[in-house]
Amino acid sequence: MARDVLIDLQHITKVFPPDTVALSDVSVSFESGEIHALVGENGAGKSTLMKVFYGLERRDAGNIFFRGARVEFRTPREAISAGIGMVHQEILLIPEYTVWQNIVLGAEPVRAFGTIDADRAREAVRQKIEEFQFNLEPDALVGDISVAARQKVEILKLLYRNVSVLVLDEPTAVLTPQEIPQLFAELARLRDKGHTIIFISHRLDEVLTLSDRVTVMRRGKVVGTSAASELTKEDLARQMVGREVLFTSRRQPQEPGEIVFRARGLNCRDPEHCARLHDATVEVCAGEIVGVAGVEGNGQFELVNAIMGLAPMTSGTLEVKGKDITHADILTRRTLIAFVPQDRGKMGASVAASILEDAIMTHHILDPRFRTWRGLGLNYRHAAEFVDRIRGQFTVNMGHSSDPFGSLSGGNQQKVILGRELLLETPFVLMDQPTRGLDVGSIEYVHQLLLDLRSRKRAVLLVSADLDELFMVADRIVVMCQGEVVADLATDMTSREEVGYYMLGGKEAVHAETGS
Amino acid sequence: MNVLFGLVSAMLVGATPILLAAIGGTFTFYAGIFNIAMEGMMLVGAFCAVLGSFFLHSWVLGILCAVAGALIMAGIFVVFAVRLHTDEFLTGIALNLFAVGLTTFLLRDIFHVKGAFTDAGIRAIPAVRLPLIDGIPFLGRLLSGYNLIIYVAVLVTVLSAFVIFRTRFGLRLRGAGYNAACLNSSGVQASTIRVWSLIVCAVCCGLAGAYLSLGSVRLFSENMSAGRGWISLAAVILVSGNPWGIGVISLLFGFFDGLTVFLQGGRIPTQFTAMIPYVATLVSLYLYSVRKRRQA
Amino acid sequence: MRKQALSGILGVLAAFAIGALVLALQGFNPVTTYGALLQYSLFSGSGFTATWTRAVPLVLTGLSASIAFASGPVNLGQPGQLVMGALGATLVGLFVHLPSAFLIPLCILASLLGGALWSGLAALLKRAFAMDEFIVTLMLNFIADYFALWAITYPLFDHSASSPMTRPINTAAWLPDLGGVNTSVLFMVLAAVVCWLVMRRGRSGYEWRMTGQNSLFARIGGCKVDANYVRVMLVTGALAGLAGGLMIMGGPHRFVKGLGANYAWDGIMIAVVANNSISGAFLYGLLFSALQQGAIGMELVTAVPSEFIDVLQAVIVLVVVAGRVSLNMVFDRLATKRKLKESTG
Repeated sequence: MARDVLIDLQHITKVFPPDTVALSDVSVSFESGEIHALVGENGAGKSTLMKVFYGLERRDAGNIFFRGARVEFRTPREAISAGIGMVHQEILLIPEYTVWQNIVLGAEPVRAFGTIDADRAREAVRQKIEEFQFNLEPDALVGDISVAARQKVEILKLLYRNVSVLVLDEPTAVLTPQEIPQLFAELARLRDKGHTIIFISHRLDEVLTLSDRVTVMRRGKVVGTSAASELTKEDLARQMVGREVLFTSRRQPQEPGEIVFRARGLNCRDPEHCARLHDATVEVCAGEIVGVAGVEGNGQFELVNAIMGLAPMTSGTLEVKGKDITHADILTRRTLIAFVPQDRGKMGASVAASILEDAIMTHHILDPRFRTWRGLGLNYRHAAEFVDRIRGQFTVNMGHSSDPFGSLSGGNQQKVILGRELLLETPFVLMDQPTRGLDVGSIEYVHQLLLDLRSRKRAVLLVSADLDELFMVADRIVVMCQGEVVADLATDMTSREEVGYYMLGGKEAVHAETGS
Repeated sequence: MNVLFGLVSAMLVGATPILLAAIGGTFTFYAGIFNIAMEGMMLVGAFCAVLGSFFLHSWVLGILCAVAGALIMAGIFVVFAVRLHTDEFLTGIALNLFAVGLTTFLLRDIFHVKGAFTDAGIRAIPAVRLPLIDGIPFLGRLLSGYNLIIYVAVLVTVLSAFVIFRTRFGLRLRGAGYNAACLNSSGVQASTIRVWSLIVCAVCCGLAGAYLSLGSVRLFSENMSAGRGWISLAAVILVSGNPWGIGVISLLFGFFDGLTVFLQGGRIPTQFTAMIPYVATLVSLYLYSVRKRRQA
Repeated sequence: MRKQALSGILGVLAAFAIGALVLALQGFNPVTTYGALLQYSLFSGSGFTATWTRAVPLVLTGLSASIAFASGPVNLGQPGQLVMGALGATLVGLFVHLPSAFLIPLCILASLLGGALWSGLAALLKRAFAMDEFIVTLMLNFIADYFALWAITYPLFDHSASSPMTRPINTAAWLPDLGGVNTSVLFMVLAAVVCWLVMRRGRSGYEWRMTGQNSLFARIGGCKVDANYVRVMLVTGALAGLAGGLMIMGGPHRFVKGLGANYAWDGIMIAVVANNSISGAFLYGLLFSALQQGAIGMELVTAVPSEFIDVLQAVIVLVVVAGRVSLNMVFDRLATKRKLKESTG
């Protein structure tokens, strides 16, 4: 069935100062009434392309045609009034407002003097909920509902404004394996009603399941567009990365050593007396990578904070190499634990500081070679040598060590942080989402690094939202749900589906043998 | 009995400028702006009020000039902090210093005096007698006969509660503070809302300044705002913006401010009574933190 | 570093241009006005030395605010800490009788302690009761002012004087002049050098700066963030207190009403325009001192009110701060254009 070209992007170019070329002469067209996937690795430019289209970013060159006429959306508002809506990767809702308030924000029904007509708003929202068969309660606070429900609110927000084109940026990134088919059913229903859906993703299985056509992007350029039925996963991967990509694990079988890290019965409560961590117990042996899986917000962050000493525990014990660190201060823990946090900018470094200044943190206390002048001064010369060592050993692409840390790309920033942490030579390494937001090359590098640590008998606890990653590098996978460790599974003997069930609190808690 | 009325009167006189500035600050607080320029806006408002009242022979025009002066200050804040993205804290500090310098300079330059300017030609804002209530024996004396601006302040408080919580503008205002990116993607520019909140703040601070110089006294003195802008900022932070709470806190601060005037002439040295409003602010910060800790 | 210097120079020049406009609008001649300004501050022997002497409280409070802002605590209490430091030096200078070699260091110590006590109070309230030091230090300014006023009006009052002030402190505590320049300048330079060494070469300075930029990062890195907070507050309070003490010892030798009222707020302004850098605070402190020193002569020659300098200073701050941001945007846009040519060309 031939479809009309609805959106035509021609020769789009976009540069981010000072010198990142995000899009280079990109031309793509989208047909009406299709589900079209835009695929590529992190940093390929797919989000940027859609943001340029939507009016969130300004393009530096090129033209955009919508329904045959040349358009220029300077703000999202203009795009929305033309009938185009975008749901972003980070869910942009106001947790303090209710579902209906979030949906009507910006297009509120009003009475005299600008007062909001709450009844009319609720009624309109209820109508839309029934029309599209979403399962939502208009008066619920957005902060209280699940992540999948929040995503539905975002989509409904756009449908309330009668958009005909929906752009979704990595919608499955926040969902569990079980919630994904429901989303796909809803999207298919929308397409059947005549909507056009553009779907950005890097998850190849989903892309092939859901979409009609697929466009692949790599490093800011379009590689090609084909019908989904004509492609295999390997084809897509090769186009995305430019070479053969292995989907199997590279883990060599290895006997784990003695227990290095032990957390027993960790309990943590927040100010409203909800249990954030409930009797959490995890163990990691030398030469072992233990992955922590779970839907975001089920206690992983609290676990990390408890281990590092950032949040107080009401009960439980923590031990590294037999040494009790339950009540130890952060510095003591750092002599035993290397920590790569999930948010580089907030916890892992100071973006305003120079590369050198970020690289020497913690070493400046623990390593006496950094001291001069009877301990009062900082040996900046030794610091420069130290940075050079990181640069060489971790192949960091950087300029001068006095350049601002923020001038490095995401992958290189992460390498500096990894270098700093791993050169502490601690027995236990804690990593929280280390590959988030990185390009494929950097992701591969980090995985290789993890496997190296493993073969050198260090103990690694890896918190990750990426099940593929966990299945590739982890020996065991521990699943967290509602603050509890509900499963402890050997990777080779479980499946993604089983892990998904535990993530949603499906089965009874089961614990595998740890083998020591 | 006279003591009671005197105290209530002093309380209202002290509370009004703080209340007005704090309401203005509430709008910018909800919009997500770190606005510390209320002190400067109030000072410029006070000066412009005297300017307008003296040269244009009308207290109404004096008020308008006060608001205009404060709006210019807000305009500078918008240009620097909203358009050019300079740090809001730094811009606020620079603006306050600019206000002090400018008003002191113009005091010398226009009126040729140092320290303070007062003249019979300055028209003050009149007191108002409420038509029906005035006749009632006890209540009349308690509720009627205050300066116009005091009644305006009460009206502003009620209006702002209505606007912030019931109207479309209010929903968007708070949205800008909670999640500006969300508001932007909903089709409403957060920066536009922020500019409007600054305009409202300027109007309120202009009124507060006009009250300072044309309300109970008829003069402008150097650095007349004397830290009231900072106290109103403390009020906004303590109450986390709710207009009704602002009203209560302002009355409290006003009470202490009034107490100062009241106790002058007594046995305690004036310097210590002058400290009262500032110590009171410290005490309320302490109580606030205790309350927070008890919640945790 | 170079970008900072560029935005600073451009900003000051732009501010002078704006000031010239203001002068012209009021009917004054900008050229003769600025000429008189320079003449009386830098180009005459007495003006030059007076500029350096006047710079002491400006630079010291500027250093205090710079270190505080760069390290995290929002210490806006320099006015109050200056007053308390001055009181401390005055008390010791009035009631302790020792030869100069002992009395001068003792008075200086008293001024350091006075300032540190006042900022330490704010730090204590923050650590014990989570009271935000922003508002606390501001309130303490007013309280210190009134307290000092009471002290010099009643207990320490010089009964032979006609307005509130203390008796002169013992001559042994007076700081002498050396070739027209007061020796307090030496202490200022010494303090600036020490501050620079600590912030840019010391381990403490490194931790403080990292904490100021990202306190969570510093905490995770093992820095003792809470202890550092208190240290920074005490040190910066002491610096402001030192300014007060040196003003008494090198200047009127007694606590006069209204002492140092504006200098401390100027110090905050200096930190803002210097972007919290130590060398920047030193240079801008000298600049503002020159402006203030020259203003008196300027008024004599051209009848421009000396308060014009207050306006000029504030304009300099606004323009330099805005200029810094704009300059970054300009550089970014230039880089974008270059990259665009590279990728498409």
